[in-house]
Amino acid sequence: MRKSSLKRIRLGKVLLVAGGLVLIGQLAGIPSAVAQTQPAIGIACTNSVSPNPTFNLDAKSGYIVLGDGNTMFMWSYSLGEQSFQYPGPVLCVNQGDTVNVILNNTLAEDVSIMFPGQENVLANGAPAQPQFNGGGALTSLTNAAPPGGSMTYSFVASKPGTYLYQSGTSPEKQVRMGLAGVLIVRPTQGANFVYNQADGRYRFTPEEEFLVFLSEIDPSQHQAAEQNAPFDLTTYHVHYWLINGRTFPDTVADNFASRLPSQPYGALARVHPYDATNHPYPGLARYVNVGFEEIAFHPHGNNGVVIGRDGNPLEGPAGQDLTFEKFAINIGPGQTWDVLVKWYDAENYSPSNPVPVTIPDVANQTIGMWWSGSPYLGVQGPLPPGVTTQNQCGEYYIISHNHALFQLDAWGMTMAGQITYMRVDPPLPNSCP
Amino acid sequence: MSSQSISRSLSRRRFLKNAGGTLFGASLLPKFVAGVLAPSEIVRAQATDPPPNLYFAGTDGWIHLPPSPPIEFYFPDDLAPGTDRGYPAGLNTYIFGFRNITGLDDTQKANQKMRAQHNAPLFWVDQFNGSNEFRLQLTNLGLQQRPDLTDSHTLHWHGFRNVITFFDGEPTGSLSVPIGRNFTYVYRPRDPGTYMYHCHVEDVEHVHMGMTGPVFVRALQNFTGATGAPIARLGGNTTAGVPMGYAYNDGRALSDPASTAYDREFAIFLSEVWAEAHWCDSHIQLPDWSDYKADFSLLNGRVYPDTLAPNGSVDPFNPARDGNGDLIAPAGRPELQYQPLSALVTCNAGERVLLRFANLGFREASMTLAGIKMRVVGRDATPMIGRDGTDNSYETNTILIGAGESFDCIFTAPSFSGGSGSSGQGYDSYVLHNRRLTQVSNLSGGGLAGQRTEVRVYQSVVDAQQYPNDWGI
Repeated sequence: MRKSSLKRIRLGKVLLVAGGLVLIGQLAGIPSAVAQTQPAIGIACTNSVSPNPTFNLDAKSGYIVLGDGNTMFMWSYSLGEQSFQYPGPVLCVNQGDTVNVILNNTLAEDVSIMFPGQENVLANGAPAQPQFNGGGALTSLTNAAPPGGSMTYSFVASKPGTYLYQSGTSPEKQVRMGLAGVLIVRPTQGANFVYNQADGRYRFTPEEEFLVFLSEIDPSQHQAAEQNAPFDLTTYHVHYWLINGRTFPDTVADNFASRLPSQPYGALARVHPYDATNHPYPGLARYVNVGFEEIAFHPHGNNGVVIGRDGNPLEGPAGQDLTFEKFAINIGPGQTWDVLVKWYDAENYSPSNPVPVTIPDVANQTIGMWWSGSPYLGVQGPLPPGVTTQNQCGEYYIISHNHALFQLDAWGMTMAGQITYMRVDPPLPNSCP
Repeated sequence: MSSQSISRSLSRRRFLKNAGGTLFGASLLPKFVAGVLAPSEIVRAQATDPPPNLYFAGTDGWIHLPPSPPIEFYFPDDLAPGTDRGYPAGLNTYIFGFRNITGLDDTQKANQKMRAQHNAPLFWVDQFNGSNEFRLQLTNLGLQQRPDLTDSHTLHWHGFRNVITFFDGEPTGSLSVPIGRNFTYVYRPRDPGTYMYHCHVEDVEHVHMGMTGPVFVRALQNFTGATGAPIARLGGNTTAGVPMGYAYNDGRALSDPASTAYDREFAIFLSEVWAEAHWCDSHIQLPDWSDYKADFSLLNGRVYPDTLAPNGSVDPFNPARDGNGDLIAPAGRPELQYQPLSALVTCNAGERVLLRFANLGFREASMTLAGIKMRVVGRDATPMIGRDGTDNSYETNTILIGAGESFDCIFTAPSFSGGSGSSGQGYDSYVLHNRRLTQVSNLSGGGLAGQRTEVRVYQSVVDAQQYPNDWGI
């Protein structure tokens, strides 16, 4: 019963809101400019000017859409003067930059930003500190902006890596409501490295840099926030699990897909097979778990090399290589993991080097929507009669998903949670659009 | 969502959910569509294909879990078949699962419908040496308890590196096996270690319902040896004192503390049962998976103390079956007929024992071996060796193992205390269990259930293993 009352379709409302935002955006000429400079697939950075990048973030409310058709009231950080987005912008800076983040709070309660992993953060020029009331009770993990007010945070991004930023004020409410985002600090060695290391072991292919930002939603908590009603934290019960602020299949839509006006970040990974000459460096997946439980994320078909956690490369005091391969990425609440990924065409199966088995007749197959009709990379083959495929050029689609499989669910709708795919394109040159 | 939902038609399930239609109306559509699009099987001669190494079938079935205390409404399941239908007494939980049907004739094969086992059959494969590819044929016998449900099945080898979609078993990017059809997976495994496998169709449902099991890749070093590490018994070396095997191609001498040599090996496979979900499947209902909880936590498809009961037929390459092709129940435990894998660990003092943990439950487990240190030598089918050769193995009593994760741990059995041992039964007993103690209770109180088993250390009476998890006594 709780479900049915909460699941009332708010589509009309969200369309109205989205339409209004698009209109405003067009008038101001803002979101389209952002979208045009960003890749359709892969990490969509919000950049500023090094060495003193400045970001205006507005804490505001909005709506997102979920895999079962429900819409959800959210809070998030959005770029100043721009439309609501969830999660907050991916802030990309260079090691050594003095980063300024100006928080403007449009919500009706105090909001803050904390930067776990950054040291010597200043708030309005003074050291950022936990806040206490007159009785000595903790009121916020850092200096907050009051409703309608602002707060400027600044720090030197001294260490490369993947970091979270999130509200430090009532985080059990505000972080769950969506006040969180990702900070990427690129090393002095260059933007095609994850960390600094003279032997180059942390090099990756910049076109294959992906974000896996894991979050969760208890709709009752969001409904309470929308109605300004109390919420009993002991009844917290997650019904939605998201990647980059979306549920499957929206996760595989492009960045800034127009039908997801407030969920700008896609999660499809698109790679080419490893090739010693033409494609020697791996891709990079930056995992961030902003949820409240450990997530066991499972990318099929490759063991990622875990090279860093929480902004720290995995190496010993003498530079020993302590990285390790995993097929289960067990990422705890608030953790970040940096994982190098590559897909290697181990067997080089092709029409001239066929799979060593008779392929069943199409009448004896059940096929998936991305099946090419052929086992071979870059080849399309016959499909059962009456069946269409989304496959474009014989590419492979290899799934990545949370292996606590009930978390692939969207409140009773299966296959609508933390699922995304790695698309392996045939080696270049190819016929892929 | 089944693959059918995207390819052939709207799935029955999604149709149900979206339309809210009646059960019967909804279930008619896909059957009709499937019938039109997939007429009777065209039997391919496949004369050019070598025979499969193993032949598995996906179907439904029933297992036994401790019936007391009951879970209101859902457990024990009132639809469980009994002796009047040719099943043992005591079955009470509906499952989907696999069965090993290698070598069965067509009648015996058909007999296995609604005779699935949990966990799914343990199997193992030698690391690819250039010529020894492994062929696993899969068929789909359908679901007897759910004739309305025409799900396809696949076998997804979880963790297999660089797989092509054709052999991955993830249905959206690949093929799956409709009822009555066959598909052969061909593997050239290049990375030794402990893996797991499961059906990936409707994965939350088919995995949770029990289509899950362990699979190992045996390291090439077993057959080639290395400096200071002789060819293993698995590689045919009958010299006294050589280890049975090596978990990895570690290249280390036997005397190296980080050697992965072992004398015995045991699969410790973790899974879970949410009684409501299993009841829903037998009663043509749909659970809300976001309400998931684990009522029962299982080791090798059983809960304590059934984990200590004997093995049924475990060796997939030498299966023992009755005349109907059915499983033979473990000695004295007819109700465990479809749960053949014991979780009891037996060994002699001083032996090196490899525990191969794999977790296809949905919850993180904290497996503790009280009183004996384990060395973690591998995780996720990767040796604990850094890319520059740094030894990353470590000793612990407890491993925290997440959903879809695997661990290889080796312990050296302590010396035997003498006499009749700490147990009074001729062995010393050490408890191996999930320290997340909520998962050793089965809601039954007292902590005497769930993911718990024993390591029993004898003086010297345990014979060499014939297959993994073999007690040797």
